[in-house]
Amino acid sequence: MNEAIKITNLKKSYDKTIALKGIDISIKDGAFFGLLGPNGAGKTTTINILTGLVNKDSGETKVFDKDTEKDFRFTRSQIGISAQEFSQDWFFSLEKLLYFQAGYFGIRKKDAESKVNELFDKLGLNEKRNSRLRQLSGGMKRRFQIAKALVHDPKIIILDEPTAGVDVELRHELWRYFKELHNTGKTILLTTHYIEEAEKLCDSVSIINNGEVIAEGSPKELMKSEGKEGLTIHLSKSSSKVKKALKNFTYTLEDTRIHFTLKDPEKALPEIIKKIVDSGSHIASIETSKSSLEDVFLSLTGKGINE
Amino acid sequence: MNWIGLWTLTSREVGRFFKVYRQTVIPGLISSVLYILIFGFTLEQRISSIEGISYTIFIIPGLIMMNTLTNASSNPSSSLLQMKLTGQVPDLMQAPLSSLEISLAFIVGGVVRGVVNGILILLIGMWIGGMEVLYPIATIGFIFVVSVAFSSMGLLLGQLADTWDQLATMQNFFLTPLSFLGGIFYSVNMLPDWAQTISAFNPIYYMINGLRYTTLGFSDSDPQYSFVIALLMSIGLSFIAIFSMKSGKKMKQ
Repeated sequence: MNEAIKITNLKKSYDKTIALKGIDISIKDGAFFGLLGPNGAGKTTTINILTGLVNKDSGETKVFDKDTEKDFRFTRSQIGISAQEFSQDWFFSLEKLLYFQAGYFGIRKKDAESKVNELFDKLGLNEKRNSRLRQLSGGMKRRFQIAKALVHDPKIIILDEPTAGVDVELRHELWRYFKELHNTGKTILLTTHYIEEAEKLCDSVSIINNGEVIAEGSPKELMKSEGKEGLTIHLSKSSSKVKKALKNFTYTLEDTRIHFTLKDPEKALPEIIKKIVDSGSHIASIETSKSSLEDVFLSLTGKGINE
Repeated sequence: MNWIGLWTLTSREVGRFFKVYRQTVIPGLISSVLYILIFGFTLEQRISSIEGISYTIFIIPGLIMMNTLTNASSNPSSSLLQMKLTGQVPDLMQAPLSSLEISLAFIVGGVVRGVVNGILILLIGMWIGGMEVLYPIATIGFIFVVSVAFSSMGLLLGQLADTWDQLATMQNFFLTPLSFLGGIFYSVNMLPDWAQTISAFNPIYYMINGLRYTTLGFSDSDPQYSFVIALLMSIGLSFIAIFSMKSGKKMKQ
């Protein structure tokens, strides 16, 4: 199968900060690929170099075997990107902005019309087509961001944190839509903070940390190779001392949920329970789970994806 | 060339300033009418004529030029800075548009605004001031060339600026003073020799006098010299603006 995206030894520094230390990523045509990493790992820099927003220091970035700098017209026309940050526009309606976006990609208004209508329908924005961006809710802005990425019907779709800040219902709706797009033969590159999202959607992932790829493969392969299990404890009362008490363990803490990645949860459980109780916290429930992508991530990077 | 892309961005740039015509077209018209009424008609009682031309008519070419170059430069500079601050630059940089196409679209946007404003004030001058235009085609051509020069300068400023304050500094500390000192309200011949020498280094002096020649047939500077300077500025500044866009300075990371 052809490679849709090939990144070889990609390096980038900002002043004294090294953002990418030599990234290698290969994404097959038709893949649903996840790029995972904590904040500042280099995910967005990689995507921005690929799409022409950032100049690389060295290395090679190719889209369908064409260089993204020398053949930028071809490579950019193959990619639709839904950026993490919302853009604003003070002057034009959503409909006008979508036609502009199609126009930048060389599509005439009359040729873009059916796609624009389809996207407004599909993403539930029909009633807002004459509104300005500032009049939209966060979820609607996210949907419009996705519509912009798709208006020129690209073969590769880059979704940079596509469900950040949206409610659970919309997240599941978008997941269904992404799967639908993938089933039509699109190659999708997804970066996300929701491990569950990558686990559910992606057929292959790369985990990137401190500007380096530290693991790659299908989620199943990675979970199998890491061979660790998850332990989740929900607290009914959380004490501020709990972080200090658990300093010797690798875990993620979100509100009252603590998730551990352990070789042998049964062995570690009594000590963990004691430390939590001694810290003044109350345990509401305990669950063990088979190795998940979250465990792989935690085990490899030593930190949670939100850290 | 991505002609559809170029046309789309150009029409966005032109459409943007027409959408807010109360900010981009009307103020120049009002201030020019006020200048003509207040400065022109009141001072005309005391300054009978300059080189045989009534004072009211004398100031009109300068007003046209001041509005032309201010509007031509502020269209691309404010639009681009706004795009930067509202996160729209990636939409352009990630599209299959070359630096040349992006630059041309912004320059054309500024030129249209400069020419529209210039011609409207020319018409007001003809209507209120009773000015007659000696060389109409050369007048429009000159307004066009000056618009290209200052629109390109605006594009360059828009690329380099990070804040509104920086753009306002350029406008308030350079463009406006240089316009006034370029001889909108006076003939340079009225100044002492040293001030005349300094004026020769002010490019806007040549723009105002070039237009004064095409409209009234009178100019402090050699009209051919004015046209050559305007042409060289438009070519030079557009090259610099396009080259800067190509380098990605302050646009890409």
